[in-house]
Amino acid sequence: MSIKEIVVPDIGDFDSVEVIELLVAEGDVVQAEDSLITVESDKASMEIPSSESGKILKLKVALGDNIAKGSVLLMMEVDDSVQAVPEEAPSKVPPKTAEKPAQESIKREQMAPAKSTPSKASAGKVQGHKPSPTAKIDEVRFSKAYASPSVRRFARELGVDLGKVEGTSRKNRINRDDIKGFVKKAMSTGGSGTALGVKPMPEIDFSQFGDIESQSLSKINKLTGEFLHRSWVTVPHVTQFDEADITEMEAFRKQMSKEMEKDGIKITPLAFIVWAVVASLKAFPRFNSSLDSTGENLILKKYFNIGVAVDTPNGLVVPVIKEADQKSLVEISQEIRELAIKARDKKLKPSEMQGGCFSISSLGGIGGTKFTPIVNTPEVAVLGVSRSKMEPVWNGSEFEPRLILPLSLSYDHRVIDGADGARFTSHLSKMLSDIRRMMV
Amino acid sequence: MSNTIDIHIPDIGDFDKVEIIEVLVKKGDEVQAEDSLITVESDKASMEIPAPSAGTIADMKVAVGDKVKQGSLIASLIPSDSTSNSSNDTATTDTTEENMATEKPAPIAATNNAEADQHAQLVVLGSGPGGYTAAFRAADLGVEVILIEKYDNIGGVCLNVGCIPSKALLHTAQVINEAEEADHLGVSFNKPKIDIDKVRDYKSGIVSKLTGGLIQLAKQRKVTIVHGYGKFTSANSIEVTEEDGTKSSIGFDNCIIAAGSRVTKLPFIPWDDPRVMDSTDALELEEVPKRMLVVGGGIIGLEMATVYDALGTDITVVELGSGLMPGADRDIVRPLERRIKKKYENIFLDTKVSEIKPTKEGLVCTFEGDKVGSKKGAPETDTFDRVLVSIGRSPNGKLIDAEKAGVAVNDWGFIEVDKQQRTNVDHIYAIGDVVGQPMLAHKATHEGKTAAENVAGHKAFFDARAIPSVAYTDPEIAWMGKTEDECKAEGIEVTKGAFPWAASGRSLSIGRNEGMTKVLFDKESGQLIGAGIVGTNAGELIAEAVLALEMGADAEDIGLTVHPHPTLSETLNFAAEVAEGTCTDIYVPKKK
Repeated sequence: MSIKEIVVPDIGDFDSVEVIELLVAEGDVVQAEDSLITVESDKASMEIPSSESGKILKLKVALGDNIAKGSVLLMMEVDDSVQAVPEEAPSKVPPKTAEKPAQESIKREQMAPAKSTPSKASAGKVQGHKPSPTAKIDEVRFSKAYASPSVRRFARELGVDLGKVEGTSRKNRINRDDIKGFVKKAMSTGGSGTALGVKPMPEIDFSQFGDIESQSLSKINKLTGEFLHRSWVTVPHVTQFDEADITEMEAFRKQMSKEMEKDGIKITPLAFIVWAVVASLKAFPRFNSSLDSTGENLILKKYFNIGVAVDTPNGLVVPVIKEADQKSLVEISQEIRELAIKARDKKLKPSEMQGGCFSISSLGGIGGTKFTPIVNTPEVAVLGVSRSKMEPVWNGSEFEPRLILPLSLSYDHRVIDGADGARFTSHLSKMLSDIRRMMV
Repeated sequence: MSNTIDIHIPDIGDFDKVEIIEVLVKKGDEVQAEDSLITVESDKASMEIPAPSAGTIADMKVAVGDKVKQGSLIASLIPSDSTSNSSNDTATTDTTEENMATEKPAPIAATNNAEADQHAQLVVLGSGPGGYTAAFRAADLGVEVILIEKYDNIGGVCLNVGCIPSKALLHTAQVINEAEEADHLGVSFNKPKIDIDKVRDYKSGIVSKLTGGLIQLAKQRKVTIVHGYGKFTSANSIEVTEEDGTKSSIGFDNCIIAAGSRVTKLPFIPWDDPRVMDSTDALELEEVPKRMLVVGGGIIGLEMATVYDALGTDITVVELGSGLMPGADRDIVRPLERRIKKKYENIFLDTKVSEIKPTKEGLVCTFEGDKVGSKKGAPETDTFDRVLVSIGRSPNGKLIDAEKAGVAVNDWGFIEVDKQQRTNVDHIYAIGDVVGQPMLAHKATHEGKTAAENVAGHKAFFDARAIPSVAYTDPEIAWMGKTEDECKAEGIEVTKGAFPWAASGRSLSIGRNEGMTKVLFDKESGQLIGAGIVGTNAGELIAEAVLALEMGADAEDIGLTVHPHPTLSETLNFAAEVAEGTCTDIYVPKKK
């Protein structure tokens, strides 16, 4: 019998994730791989399994705590008889690491404040310093906020409504850092269109028109919304439509599926599309790239990780099939299915959603003819797939029924020219129409 | 018969103000019912406002750019006879009249294409404490400034005929009073010999020293001072008329109106008689009259009464209201009231002067009021050697042709501004007395800085939570923040702490015991929200209370701050302790 610290394993590149659920209590006996807690990151929630079997002596985390890799979760009385773990084996990661990322993130925050330095020369002509229309300040609340005159002046400069700021000094007095923190928070979560210089949406009381019900967005909804909004406003989108004749592909797929049915193996059309996309990415490397943060350099990727959008009851997530170029159609089919199940069960690990090169959003199972997907930044292109349909195609002498798959490719026009967009979709279409080409 | 009907903006939905972007008819035009008169534009759409009935436009009351809302008067219309019978009945015009006040449209700025003689990034109109502060602050921030002043001396009322000279005379008065009161300390002085010319010179010397200093400060900052009467000619130009009549024009990118206020003059008062004085005249100290009537028991009247009383004049104060020094809490005023009731000849409250008749013997004043003629009240008439009229000050907003710059001035002559001191015209600011009460120099200076910083491109707001008031009477009275009366009226629950100076060793040692320090803490937040002090140096003592309020101090904070002993400043500390129930210098029975 020995007492061990159970720490947070590698959960991907996260500074800190929030504990949203405790699945065990002090005194519980758990087996290795049993889930201990559920954490939620920006992108998903996941359960953290126990690395040991034994009895939980003391929980070191509580709901709402932020933890990171190496954080101590709990103390466990490990049953040595079951699992003879050598003394030096337990991961002795310094427990303090949890705090460091937090400090770093604060430092990063302090660098951001937007400073408006008035230009002396234009002083006389500068007349546009009216408070921005979005900076709606409740003057009554402002005048009651517990803050000294210098802090109030600072709040005014930044257009901060003091009434909304929580003070952290003695007796909840508001200090300068509180205002900075408020601004940082507003800047990272805001996105009310302020940066675009457009007026904010007017507040409308919909209840005046009839019965309403207010529902809060899920965390995934909110995060996806912010992310998509940023992509939508920062990336100049162009959508190229095309079609692929997948009559042969489907025949082949169905035949293969039948043959492998007894082994419980199923090949999905999406697997072919992933394959085709990989082939097209190899032919057009610019589609497998990202702009760096300066927007001046293009980073070309030599690996082929394909994201597949999954619709879950909680919202949209995009798990990534790593090294899709190294995997067979069967492997890809299976992986997509596993990832989709995990996504619906909220079991996706953050690492399973990172590192994508190109995303595919397939609405083929639902319907629709065409749509314009939003680029999953920092990727530069996304393929939308709609429902395939039998259509009459002129073969030179007569109309022939062919299965046609509509394709919609949205791309970042800063990186990809229109001609390349069309070349990419034609290439893709060729690959899908005659899958033998993919082998070449 | 055709009589004109007024056309108002009908119900156009939930809009406060919409802008007129087009006027489609003009005076004299004939219109049919439902013809469009004007086009207005809201956040969401533009719409045309139709004529309610056919007729001839008698007058257009609005112009492009005006902001209107439901009920605003657009035009008057002479209905055409043929249709008037029906249209008058069905007209939608009057429906809104009663519940909607007509919105006074903002004036439209004149255009001025003429070349200006001078040009500056900023013109400050008026060199009072607000004006020069604004000019200097802007100059320090790199703005090129012209300061316009109508008088020879800069510094405005405060420096020349207000705060500063009155305080010089009040110091003289204090010396006289203290020498007299030294009698009961066992030291007797002879009756003072007063050389009125020297008293005046002392005062004038201080004034010229300060105004000279200001000119120096302006030079160092390269602020150009232009002497003359400035009036707007457009939204970007001012015409300055010098004393000899020469006119010049000054163009500007930004302007700060710091035009101040003037003594309010009642029409029935014979101002041409030199024995009738306003505060400016009284400071001139032409003579020490035997009997003087002070009309108005506010700060200015009572300060001047203090001066003349010390110099030997018999003072009568007449006040229209029920108490002296309106605006301050009664308990703070009472010690002054008690003292001057003994010293002065008479104090008549709830009484008004209805006539002043100049005669050879003096100024015959007629009093009016319920108590007039009764034992304690004023006589029907009385004759005084001099009368000081100090019933208040009026803003100078209407004296500068602000409408030509498009700046809105309200009926009282005030110019309304936002918290950044901006008028309805974006590049024109206003500060000080001309923007509203309280008309105090220290309010003007802070507003001046705010305006100047905004002109220089900063984002400054006037966010002061308390502006202290001080009366340099004997005893002095000072207050800041909310008064007890205001708290009651506004339903703010307070914890009050009052410390009587009779328990202050320092106060007793200077021979005074009537003082009081009172503090009010908001029950909800615990923070100081008001204070009132009466007693020697109350004006100096109130500053600490203002700081405490701005910093959000509560009773504990003030109580735990070590104050030097023995001082009058301790009384603030003690008053806070009284509020807390921890004061040991007086006995306060425990609240149950």
